[in-house]
Amino acid sequence: MTRRVRLLVMAVGGTGLAALLVAACFDLPRFGGDQHPYGDRVVRASLARHTANTIASVNFDQRAFDTLGEMSILFASVLGTVVLLRQTRDEHRAAPEPEQVALPVRRYALLVLPVAVLTGLYVIAHGQLSPGGGFQGGVVVATALHLLYLGADYRALERIRPVGSYEVADALAASAYLVLGLAGLVAGTAFLADFLPYGTFNTLSSGGTVPLLNAAIGMEVACAVVVLLANFLDQAVEIEKEGET
Amino acid sequence: MHHLLPVLVAVPLLGATLLVTAGRHLPRAAAETVGCLFAAGTAALAIALLLNSSPPMTDWVGGWTPEGGESVGIVLVGDGPGLGMAALASLLTVAALAYSWHYFDEPPRRHAGSFPALMLLFQGGMCGFAIAGDLFDAFVFFELMSVVAYALTGHRVEEPKAVQGALSFGVLNSLGAYAMLMGIGLLYARTGELAMTKIGEGLDRHGSPDALTLAAFALVLTGLLVKAAAVPFHFWLPDAHAVAPTPVCMLLSGVMVELGAYGVWRVYRTVFSGPGGIPASDLEHALVVLGALTGLVGAVMCWYQRHIKRLLAYSTVAHMGLFLIGIGALSPEADDGVALYILSHAGVKAALFACTGALLDRYGSVDEHALHGRARELRGVAVLYVAGALSLAGLPPFGIGLGKAVLEEAVGGPLTVLFVAVSAVTAGAVLRVAARVFFGLGPRPDDESSYETTGKKEEPETRSRLSRVPDTMTAVPAVLLVLSLAMGAVPGFAAAVGHAVSGRAAPAPHWTLIGVLLGLTSTLLALGLATLAATRPKLLGDGAWTAPLRRLQSGHIGDYVAWMLAGTTLLAALALPTILNG
Repeated sequence: MTRRVRLLVMAVGGTGLAALLVAACFDLPRFGGDQHPYGDRVVRASLARHTANTIASVNFDQRAFDTLGEMSILFASVLGTVVLLRQTRDEHRAAPEPEQVALPVRRYALLVLPVAVLTGLYVIAHGQLSPGGGFQGGVVVATALHLLYLGADYRALERIRPVGSYEVADALAASAYLVLGLAGLVAGTAFLADFLPYGTFNTLSSGGTVPLLNAAIGMEVACAVVVLLANFLDQAVEIEKEGET
Repeated sequence: MHHLLPVLVAVPLLGATLLVTAGRHLPRAAAETVGCLFAAGTAALAIALLLNSSPPMTDWVGGWTPEGGESVGIVLVGDGPGLGMAALASLLTVAALAYSWHYFDEPPRRHAGSFPALMLLFQGGMCGFAIAGDLFDAFVFFELMSVVAYALTGHRVEEPKAVQGALSFGVLNSLGAYAMLMGIGLLYARTGELAMTKIGEGLDRHGSPDALTLAAFALVLTGLLVKAAAVPFHFWLPDAHAVAPTPVCMLLSGVMVELGAYGVWRVYRTVFSGPGGIPASDLEHALVVLGALTGLVGAVMCWYQRHIKRLLAYSTVAHMGLFLIGIGALSPEADDGVALYILSHAGVKAALFACTGALLDRYGSVDEHALHGRARELRGVAVLYVAGALSLAGLPPFGIGLGKAVLEEAVGGPLTVLFVAVSAVTAGAVLRVAARVFFGLGPRPDDESSYETTGKKEEPETRSRLSRVPDTMTAVPAVLLVLSLAMGAVPGFAAAVGHAVSGRAAPAPHWTLIGVLLGLTSTLLALGLATLAATRPKLLGDGAWTAPLRRLQSGHIGDYVAWMLAGTTLLAALALPTILNG
């Protein structure tokens, strides 16, 4: 298609879709109403199971099966990335050069690194109590490790980041989620049932299986992000096409 | 028994995590065995559940059974169609893994388990989508199967065209998924519910349909129809199928695309079929128009391909059009017909792709013109290819013939002509390939082609070119073809399918005299077209009149996106009369 025709088709389709969406928006419920049927039900259910953070209750208890799907999407994306960004036959690996880092950057990165890792772990551990949880904390932990790339160099990062082990840990965390789900089935109720004692409201051990599933997701996300970034960084830093130097 | 529904998803996912964990230390054969075992175990579970699916099962995951009619959990539905699709997806995964056994190109170093693991994730996603009774949950598993399919399509990254095909597949299907998510958001805003039946009830409580219902309908259907490759959402499919590894093509064409059509069926039935939804006449209108367009475009494009995998891909597009027309008919008889058609089409199409894969690995080419007369030695593959082509035409007693006959009877009228024409042209194209490649019939076609992608200089998917075709590569298509023959020839099977899909609402699907005659007609037409095309290619012309249509398949993602937007608008326009009259 020529550019003209493409723009014409795009304009017709886009205008139609825009008109449709605008018309639909006028039929949406008004902003700030006091009717929240789903919200009321969800909060009731999460309080009944002693889970202080309702979002965690939705993610890891009420709709834990969706989270299984989302986790599998992340797991599949990581596996897909590993396969697609592999070192192909016409590529070779060049060792990264050591780099000089400005002293203030180095000091700052090394100072912040342990704090950031600790923050990530805290966010994961308190997922069932306060905003945050496995998804968010996992990303914080994974990116915190990469401060070493800024503060030192790529070789230092590679030393604390054996990608193979992270891939295995990623898969183990995903299987832990599945095994917990199957345990719910074996323990007598249903797949992904909350079969553990609910504990005392607003303590670390409250919510039954919620903290365990949350921890599995935290570990899965942290490892998955590390492997993802490692593969993209490898492609940028180490892998070169045949013939390039 | 209903507690085992989510296990259908958990088993393949567990297999995938196991393969990634142990893949670094497993020899290749062990990894492939583990993959096959998990896929086969899931298939066995799906079949066991299917045999117990009357009356339909429901399972609330996590034990969140509704109290006072309300639940915050996710519901899974184990009825005949859902479990049937799950069983089909699982069996086809086993077939694809068996086909790729040992010969498929080497996996990345120290990642022996990665290909079977991706296949298992694909299987898990398809099973999850098939049994979802919750619209958001359906979306999540829809995305899972898409993400894995992008990675599998681009598996051979050494070739730029593989990356390009996977990219347009990814962009188009992701946009479709966003549209679907937006539609789900609109439905949630109106009803505050996510379970499909609950959304339907909520829409009915609200009263007659308005612009929001229409927008939600168009957006959700856009997502599903992109997957189902309906015209004008279909452009990604030939590009992706041409570059995807053969075992992946078997799954994409055999069951993933059909799951899009299944989704349309499920979502319309449970969400939009009430008085607050979209009236049946409007759905029929929309699906018959899009389906007929899809069938015609697919058939014409199929005829003019010389890249064999692209040809088979367009044949899938054409047959998807027929499935959509059948779904639009909204009658239990048509549902039975579509179900039988999809089941046996999956077997036949997978078998044809499998045979084409054998050509690719043996000769390093999938080009009809370049392979002219070269595959004379592959007698076994030739027999399978011809049998597949004839059953694609609807030759009795193959299952496709029975499904199509039942469907033609249910739809009736002038659409019967379309059914016969589409199956004759697509099967004729496949027969023409068989005649030229395996029998060297007719003059050698000249090598020039102004528009079509050639299939020359393709890399084999095996480590090196095969000197002989291994037994697994012929056994798998042979078994698939025998199964799709049995679907039409074993009397009890069609009745069982009919019972699982529509219960007692329709008479058991069976052969009628008219059905047999229609099947024979399209087979004879296909044979005639193929003979004519192979021996007297000049008589049929070079199809210059189709050039504008063929140029639309430009490979430019921007073009495809523009058509997708236009398609959504068309879909909304076709269902618009309701809102104006309501």
